[in-house]
Amino acid sequence: MADHITKAYDQDIAQLKAMLAEMGGIAEEQLNNAILALTKRDLTLADQVIEGDKKIDELERQIEEKAILTIAKRQPLALDLREIVVSIRVASDIERIGDLAKNTAKRAHAIPEALPRKLSMGLTRMGSMAQTQLNDILDAFIRKDGEKAMTVWRSDEDLDALFNSIFRELLTYMMEDPRNISLCTHLLFGAKNLERIGDHTTNIAENIYFLIHGKTITEGRPKKDVTAMMNLTE
Amino acid sequence: MTNDLPAKTNALPTKMEAHNLSFFYGGSKALNNVTLPLHQNKVTSIIGPSGCGKSTLLRVFNRIYDLYPNQRAEGEVTLNGNSVLDPSVDLNMLRAKVGMVFQKPTPFPLSIYDNIAFGIRLYERLKKPEMDDRVETALKGAALWNEVKDKLNASGASLSGGQQQRLCIARSVAIKPEVILFDEPCSALDPISTARIEELIDELKQTYTIAIVTHNMQQAVRVSDFTGFMYLGELVEFGETSEIFTAPRDKRTQNYITGRFG
Repeated sequence: MADHITKAYDQDIAQLKAMLAEMGGIAEEQLNNAILALTKRDLTLADQVIEGDKKIDELERQIEEKAILTIAKRQPLALDLREIVVSIRVASDIERIGDLAKNTAKRAHAIPEALPRKLSMGLTRMGSMAQTQLNDILDAFIRKDGEKAMTVWRSDEDLDALFNSIFRELLTYMMEDPRNISLCTHLLFGAKNLERIGDHTTNIAENIYFLIHGKTITEGRPKKDVTAMMNLTE
Repeated sequence: MTNDLPAKTNALPTKMEAHNLSFFYGGSKALNNVTLPLHQNKVTSIIGPSGCGKSTLLRVFNRIYDLYPNQRAEGEVTLNGNSVLDPSVDLNMLRAKVGMVFQKPTPFPLSIYDNIAFGIRLYERLKKPEMDDRVETALKGAALWNEVKDKLNASGASLSGGQQQRLCIARSVAIKPEVILFDEPCSALDPISTARIEELIDELKQTYTIAIVTHNMQQAVRVSDFTGFMYLGELVEFGETSEIFTAPRDKRTQNYITGRFG
C-alpha cells in the first residue's frame, strides 16, 4: 500500500500497530506464565502475572486514546478506517485475554498444593493449545494474513473439544472423591478461562477477516463446547 | 470499470443517465466513455482529483457546455429515457428541468425576491399573489425563508455567503426542476453554512434527483446514497456510498479516498 500524502498519518497508524504488537506480546507471556503458575502452583509467578496485567490495561487505554484521536484528526476512510476500528476491537479482546490469564494465575493461591500430574496434564495441554492459537492469531494480525487467521478461527473447535473432555474428566474426579471438589472446581474455572481465551482469538480472527475483506464473516463457526447443555445426572 | 452492483441497486429507477459518454474541449478528451446513472430521489456524489472530469460530467448533464464554442459530447445522456444531447432538444426547457448550483454563489444583482422571480418569469406568467407564493415556497424549500422574509427587497448580494448559496438553491427550486446538479456547493462556505446546505440536500432529495461534485470526502459520505469515483476522465468505480468509502473495490479509489498517491 502506498504511503499517505500526510506522513504523520502513516506514523499514527504505525504507532497504533506497534502498541498492539507490544500488547499482544505481553498477553502471550502472561498466558504462558499463568498456566505455569497454576499447574506448578508457583505463587511468585502468579503474583507476577497479576501485577503484569496492569500494563495490558494501560496499553489498551493508550491504544483507544490514540485511535480516537486519529479518527478525529484524519477522518480515515476505507482500509484506514477499518484498520483503526479493528485496532480498538483487537485491543479490547487482548485486554480480556489478559484478564482471563490473570484470573487463571490467581487460582494458584486457591489450590492447596502442586497438582498431581494426572490433573495438570489436561490443563497443560489445553494451555499450550490456547497459546498456539494466540501466537498464531497475533502473527496473522501483524502480517494481515487472512488465511492463517481463518485456520485459527476453525481450530477453536479443537480447544472446545479439549475443554469438554477436561470437564468430563474433572467431573469424574469429583464424583470419585468429594474432597477433590474444591480443587477441581478451580481447575475447571481455569480450563474455562482458556476456553474463553480461544473465543477471543476467534474474535480477533473475525476482525482480521473484516480488515482484509471489508465485510463481516457470514459463515457460522463450528462449535464443540457442549458443556452448557450437558445433563449432569446422565 | 468494476460494476457488479447488487441487483437491488440496479433495480432502482434511473432519472438521468450518461451512457458511453465522451467529451472534448477542442482536441483534448476530458471524459472517456463514462456510464453513470443518477437514481431517482437519490443523491449521487462524484469525487476525484482536480481535472478528473467530474465538473465536466455535470456540465454535460444540462448541456451548459453548449454556451462555449469547440466543446462537444459523444455518446448518450438521457433524462427520463429521452436524449439530452439531441440537437433538437429545447435547451431552456432542459435547463429548467436540470438545475445547477455552482461553487461560488452567483446571486443576480437584484432583490432577494427578484432573484427567485426572475427564473420563474422566464417560464411562466404568474399573478402577483401566485408569484409571492412561489417565491415563499422556494425560499422555504431552500431553508432561507425565516432569515429573509422581512427583507425581500434587499439586494441578494447583501446576504452572507451561505445565505447566497441557499438563495441560488431557492432559485433552482423555484422553477420546479427534476434534477439538481451541485458543483462543489460548499467549498466557499463556513462549516455552519455547509451543515445547513447538507441538511437541505437531504430534504431536497425527497422531491428531486441530485448529483453533487465535491472535494470533501466526508461530505460525500454524509450526503450521498451513491458515489462515483473519477480519474483521468474515466469513471473508475461506481457504487453505494457506504461501500465505496468502507471497502472500495478498485485500488485507485482506495488510494484516493484514503489520502495516498494514486
